[in-house]
Amino acid sequence: MAMLNIENLHANVGDKEILKGLTLEVGAGEVHAIMGPNGSGKSTLGYVLAGREGYEATSGSVTFDGKDLLALEPHERAAAGFFLGLQYPVEIPGVSNLNFLRTALNAQRKLRGEPDVSAADFMRLARTEADAFDLTMDHMKRGVNVGFSGGEKKRNEMVQMALLAPKFAVLDETDSGLDIDALKTVAGGINRLRSPERGFLLITHYQRLLDYVKPDKVHVLSGGRIVRSGGPELAHALEREGYGELAA
Amino acid sequence: MNALPIPTRRDEAWRYSDLEALGEVWPSGVVSERIDVPAGETRALTLVADAAQPVAVRDWTVTIADGARLDLHILNLGGRYGRVALDVTLGEGSHFELGAAQVAGGKTTLEIVTHVRHAAPGATSRQTVRTVLAQQATGTYLGKVAVDRGAQKTDAAQSVKAMLLDRTATANAKPELEIFADDVKCAHGATVGELDATQYFYLTSRGLPPAEAKRLLLHAFLADAFAGMDDAGARETLEAAALAALERLA
Amino acid sequence: MAANEQALALAKEQSKYKWGFSSDIESDFAPKGLDEDTVRFISAKKAEPEWMLEWRLKAFRLWQGMESPDWAKLSIPPIDYQDAYYYAAPRKKPTLKSLDELDPEILLTYQKLGIPIEEQKVLAGVEGARKVAVDAVFDSVSVATTFREELKRAGVIFLSISEAIREYPDLVKKYLGAVVPVRDNFFACLNSAVFSDGTFVYVPEGVRCPMELSTYFRINAENTGQFERTLIIADKGSYVSYLEGCTAPQRDENQLHAAVVELIALEDAEIKYSTVQNWYPGDENGKGGIYNFVTKRAHCRGDRSKVSWTQVETGSAITWKYPSCVLSGKDSVGEFYSVALTNNMQQADTGTKMIHLGAGSRSTIISKGISAGRSNNTYRGLVRVGPTAEGVRNFTQCDSLLLGSECGAHTVPYIEVKNPSAQIEHEATTSKISDDQLFYAQSRGLDREAAVALIVNGFAKEVLQQLPMEFAVEAQKLLGISLEGSVG
Repeated sequence: MAMLNIENLHANVGDKEILKGLTLEVGAGEVHAIMGPNGSGKSTLGYVLAGREGYEATSGSVTFDGKDLLALEPHERAAAGFFLGLQYPVEIPGVSNLNFLRTALNAQRKLRGEPDVSAADFMRLARTEADAFDLTMDHMKRGVNVGFSGGEKKRNEMVQMALLAPKFAVLDETDSGLDIDALKTVAGGINRLRSPERGFLLITHYQRLLDYVKPDKVHVLSGGRIVRSGGPELAHALEREGYGELAA
Repeated sequence: MNALPIPTRRDEAWRYSDLEALGEVWPSGVVSERIDVPAGETRALTLVADAAQPVAVRDWTVTIADGARLDLHILNLGGRYGRVALDVTLGEGSHFELGAAQVAGGKTTLEIVTHVRHAAPGATSRQTVRTVLAQQATGTYLGKVAVDRGAQKTDAAQSVKAMLLDRTATANAKPELEIFADDVKCAHGATVGELDATQYFYLTSRGLPPAEAKRLLLHAFLADAFAGMDDAGARETLEAAALAALERLA
Repeated sequence: MAANEQALALAKEQSKYKWGFSSDIESDFAPKGLDEDTVRFISAKKAEPEWMLEWRLKAFRLWQGMESPDWAKLSIPPIDYQDAYYYAAPRKKPTLKSLDELDPEILLTYQKLGIPIEEQKVLAGVEGARKVAVDAVFDSVSVATTFREELKRAGVIFLSISEAIREYPDLVKKYLGAVVPVRDNFFACLNSAVFSDGTFVYVPEGVRCPMELSTYFRINAENTGQFERTLIIADKGSYVSYLEGCTAPQRDENQLHAAVVELIALEDAEIKYSTVQNWYPGDENGKGGIYNFVTKRAHCRGDRSKVSWTQVETGSAITWKYPSCVLSGKDSVGEFYSVALTNNMQQADTGTKMIHLGAGSRSTIISKGISAGRSNNTYRGLVRVGPTAEGVRNFTQCDSLLLGSECGAHTVPYIEVKNPSAQIEHEATTSKISDDQLFYAQSRGLDREAAVALIVNGFAKEVLQQLPMEFAVEAQKLLGISLEGSVG
């Protein structure tokens, strides 16, 4: 069975049905990209998978690593190895980035029955990853995303992903708002983390990121369901021809 | 000592008070104190008002002389009723800093009542009050900044935030300005609400269990009140006591 | 004098009432002073049914046991309620032979406001002007008739409250005092006993009132007293915009103006109520001027109903006024946009109350206070969230602008929240016009007063743009005029 298996998923935001029978499989070691026009349900998919309140799966199933993902609380999904990188990372004044990450990492390990990471090991890890994504230790000591530029917020998401080392990551428009250098940094990070044990689902509006992170498969999401799937060449076709025809 | 009749709800400064509890200590149990900071000097004071005294009513008169500074940090936890009233008069070029946190559950009533009078030019004041309320608790901030005629270049700020954890709790705020000089900067902001749902989701999506995410957010919320403290040891003491009070709410 | 005959007939019919001054019924005003007979006189004069008289008497008896409120930041000289007239001739205007006799300052104000010369005469109380004005400028009969026809076709009832009491007693009985109860406060209670006239509007279900309604027209048809009573009911899904123009500077001695305005919005209904208040503020030494003690309240009773108050307050010696919203409908909306300008010795204590009882109810408060001269200007507001009101939102912004170092600007916001899902935000700032701003405007060719007016209008813009177009233009001019002489 694939690592992430989404079967005929229907989901509501409030009273409105956004996902209307979405089916998707991503295997371990694979990178898939989901593309689609605005309002097609891309971000909703990410939130439903991560378990955000107000984003409610009404029917269908999601199996992750053999578990019923939808039955888990958000933090249990994280501990199970699921990660969602947000399109708009949240600012949390007063909670330092480092403290947050360390607390999150150890909470996950605890739920998995693993021992805490020592303070020294954690600091070493944090320093390395911050460095890898061009963030300073000052960024790490500040409140979560507080006073970060748009690009810095996205890179901070990557630092968190690298530190938490999930089995599967959904990255929601991580490429939007990045200049070309930052885009390369982020793509380099994703490529570094690619491994036979890890899967990725890249949600994106443009194929730009896919020039740097080669996907195994590309899917087109429209009207709340996957309307087309193909290889990397599909992304180029979309870029040339737009969504209109392909999504029709 | 205090021949005054007991206040009623019609008295502005007592409109949200637990008057029944007050009745048990009025008037002799009201702790009146004076703090006078001489010209040019700097003082820092901290107060933890906890359940050791079930009904604690404090009435402080504070003067901060020309060029002096007072840093006052208060953690108001209370037993049944905890009130701290401050009547502060600022001299020329002086500064008053108040950082106060209130945490209550049960049927506790807590209040911070301030009257900060800018009596001379060039003084500054900052008031930061954070309140977390659960169960049937009531938390109040009544804060008046008064700027006398001629107290030009006054700079006064009040930041008041309250968070309610249960439907049965009550938060009251009245950040008041009374201004008689034109070249002043006076601002206040007040919010009341619950835990930010987006922040909460963000934390849990990274693996923090609900209780931990809540604790972290509440702690950060209260820590605002003590952020400016120079004395790291004193700050840690207040933060630890605040955190312990939060734990007791759960 | 059809109304008088009617009154007499009524008085005879109801012989169980004792009329201490029957001879006075013939005259145009009640004798000085206030007792039960005054109330009976007014009621009889208006040919009111008995239930209305009972209502008034009940109010009067309550009022006798009440006290004038003292919590506002106002210094109100004691008012002798026996030393006033309660019916007709409420404003004892001196009769002038021509506009030349008018205080030149007031004349200047009229001219600046662009008020037509004949209308100026009416406002100033020049002898013989009324007829001219009625015929040539505000042919109130035909104006009223024209609009009444059009409104009638839409089903909108727009009448004086006296007419409504006679013609639509069921509606009036049902809603009068439903929002502002008789015993609500001292001034509202007094109004309930002695209100002389006012406006009644009923907009039926689903009707969008085809025009903006205004007291302006009606006041020209019938001179209303200083105790006005306004009742507006917007039935399900209807909409009405109502303009209250007290835009005429009145030449007055200190005089009490205690109006009551009640608005009721049922399901999906919307009421927009705009006021430009420019009663005579007294002279620069604080002599004369109106005491404007007004109770205005809306009940957003229906789900998704909305009431929006917009006020520009530049007049009156003392203003005590808090247009409020009781938001009991689910997802109902209350708005309060206010500019209050005080100059010379004026005092204003004004603001709003937003009482959130319905789930999902929202409110916005934008208050801009401008203080000049030796005046005092207070914003006083309350935002209250009841324990069962889920998901309430409020945003409040209170800004004060001080012109000169002898005035006062005060902000007194009360926030009372009993539901954790509420999001309440309140911000306040205080500023003055900076020398940089003034210099900049002046360097571009504006004189000092024009520069100040420009900056003040910018400060008040968020509120002014809520007003209907012609009102906004007038309000802008007013702000400039009211400030003249206040900047050195």
